Amino acid sequence: MNILAIDTSCDETAVAVTRNVQVDSNIIWSQASLHAKFGGVMPSLAQRAHEERIDWVLKKALGTKHKNLKGIDAIAVTVGPGLSIALGVGVNKAKELGKKHSLPLIPVNHVEAHLLSPLGKSKNKKERVNLDLFPSFGLVLSGGTTLLCLIKNIGNYEILAESVDDALGEALDKAARQLGFGYPGAEILEKFAKRGSNDRFTLPIPLIGDSDKNRFSYSGLKSAFVRLYESVNNPNKEDIENLAHTFQHAAFKHIEKVLEYQIEKNDAPEIKNLLFGGGVSNNVEIRKMLRALCKRYNLKLHIPYSKKLMGDNAAMIGITAFLKNRDLSRDELLKKYSDYSSVDRNPKLNI
Amino acid sequence: MKLVKLKDVNIQQIVNVLSSGGLVILPTETLYGAMVDATNFKATQKLNEYKKRPLGKPYSIAVTDPVMASKFVHLNSVAKKLYRQFLPGPITIISKGKGKVARGVESEDNTLGIRIPDYKLVIDVIRKLGKPLTATSANASYKKKPYKVEDILKNITEKQKKLIDLIVDVGELPHNEPSTVIDTTLDDPAILRQGDIVLKDKNELLSRSPENTQNIAKELWQKYENFSGKRAIIFALEGKMGTGKTVFVKGLARAMGIDEKVTSPTYDLLNTYGPLTHIDTWRMIKPQQELVSLGTKGLLNDKSVIAIEWADKVEDQIHKYTEDAVVIWVKFVYSSAKSGHINDRVISWGVL
Repeated sequence: MNILAIDTSCDETAVAVTRNVQVDSNIIWSQASLHAKFGGVMPSLAQRAHEERIDWVLKKALGTKHKNLKGIDAIAVTVGPGLSIALGVGVNKAKELGKKHSLPLIPVNHVEAHLLSPLGKSKNKKERVNLDLFPSFGLVLSGGTTLLCLIKNIGNYEILAESVDDALGEALDKAARQLGFGYPGAEILEKFAKRGSNDRFTLPIPLIGDSDKNRFSYSGLKSAFVRLYESVNNPNKEDIENLAHTFQHAAFKHIEKVLEYQIEKNDAPEIKNLLFGGGVSNNVEIRKMLRALCKRYNLKLHIPYSKKLMGDNAAMIGITAFLKNRDLSRDELLKKYSDYSSVDRNPKLNI
Repeated sequence: MKLVKLKDVNIQQIVNVLSSGGLVILPTETLYGAMVDATNFKATQKLNEYKKRPLGKPYSIAVTDPVMASKFVHLNSVAKKLYRQFLPGPITIISKGKGKVARGVESEDNTLGIRIPDYKLVIDVIRKLGKPLTATSANASYKKKPYKVEDILKNITEKQKKLIDLIVDVGELPHNEPSTVIDTTLDDPAILRQGDIVLKDKNELLSRSPENTQNIAKELWQKYENFSGKRAIIFALEGKMGTGKTVFVKGLARAMGIDEKVTSPTYDLLNTYGPLTHIDTWRMIKPQQELVSLGTKGLLNDKSVIAIEWADKVEDQIHKYTEDAVVIWVKFVYSSAKSGHINDRVISWGVL
């Protein structure tokens, strides 16, 4: 199934073409992407920015191979969660194209797509999609989401813990800015943290004393960090490295503790996998921590095969649309997704 | 197009090509880069054509050292710190530009990315040329990362090949990641104006816990609730990271009878919960303008309640709403370290 997928849920204008779980093209216009360098740093001029960019990104994603949507079987679009005015641009574009080319229009949840993104494959790989992974644990850590769930099957999720305040990626960016690293600074924070150690300073691990670890929270850690930072007089380079390390360490330890608690609480012999998606999965330290954790609990860790599939992107939207409808024939697909009026943005969509 | 090995070319030859507006592909510590004189408009246009870039996409530039950088950008304290820590090296640092490069190289907002490559050949070329070079990878947009010359040539058309004047081939480069981009303009004092707002008839309470903060929100809601239905109510929240702005809005939502879970709107910028709109300006670049583009004006009606975090960054814009709305400024301050407890904050409020 060839799917044209569109995501405009936040800063990034993203369009992709996927074939089943294979990524044919995955184009993202954002400040974080290599070539677009800093074309997109104006978050909330979102609507206008997305409108200006979407046709160019669309053209790039389709290439000559799928020009005029040649060979495309369906369109998938992110309907939420996200910024309403931004989501609207993608939804409208998807409807316009769907009508023009009489294609089914599949609404997709952005967070569910992050969750399933580790199942994506590069177009050069001929591997078949492995769906014997479920039930499994699923973890999404990004700028907007911090969520642990039990994936019973594709489309059937039980939330075990999610953030009650800041998302992890957001907390890392905020700590980075406190240290004077600019924005977005999580990547720089990681570089500094690597050279620092945990011996000099201490920060409390969030919810460490809670008996029921059913949520993530970063507000207390942020407060403690500001106070710690202000207590250090004229921090030198080494101090900054140690502060970065200590913050990142506490932030990740919190994830680890909640995971340990929930895995022990929900473990069953048939659960053998942990799927891990979202932009923070690009952080080497957290991958190391999760690998060790998975080893302890006899789980296999699955992360997206490329950096572009980790941050916000549209390929994961196409992959998710396929996975949720893989048993449908072309006619059935058209029948199920022909009512465009039912497809609308939903900024607060849950999975 | 001329392809040469490093040993067969000298710096002067490369500089000659560049100073006559040519496009040269050179190795760097990250990838092969497509370089032109960044102050030569014709040359940058040629680069646009080669890269197949859409209009309005800026380039960062490569310079030899911080002194040369300061000729092209204003370096604030954040930038200076990053330069000391990371440059030369694979980091691109964005600052406010001085308009000294060719049109279209700076962004629409006049910001400019600076790179100081950790690669002697490139530094030598820039020094001899006396002009900054564009720092962009040598592949066409969205094609394979160019670690070797073959990566480039395989993925471009004959027409693109003709645009290249010279390629200096040093073989395959180590597969380092492209440079990290960091924006320092957000921390310009003009944008971060925390602490500007002086409250008249100030009220003040001490909060010792998140529950306290939520209760203060509830009290404030009860105090101003009678305006609801008559005028819009804006809670303009001001305070450092972690002082409890989001916690306050959680309490406010609860007092308003909203059951939904309130989380930080930093990433999505704006969340709505029934009549309550929750906005965060923390990561906005031009907060005043961006607040308007979020459609805040349209959100203002007699029943609406708007809570804005980091409101001090949009103070001028909020002043414009005072005609239509009751604006309550709420300040959150960590109480002095001496008073002891880590959870202590002083929360003060007033209507301007």
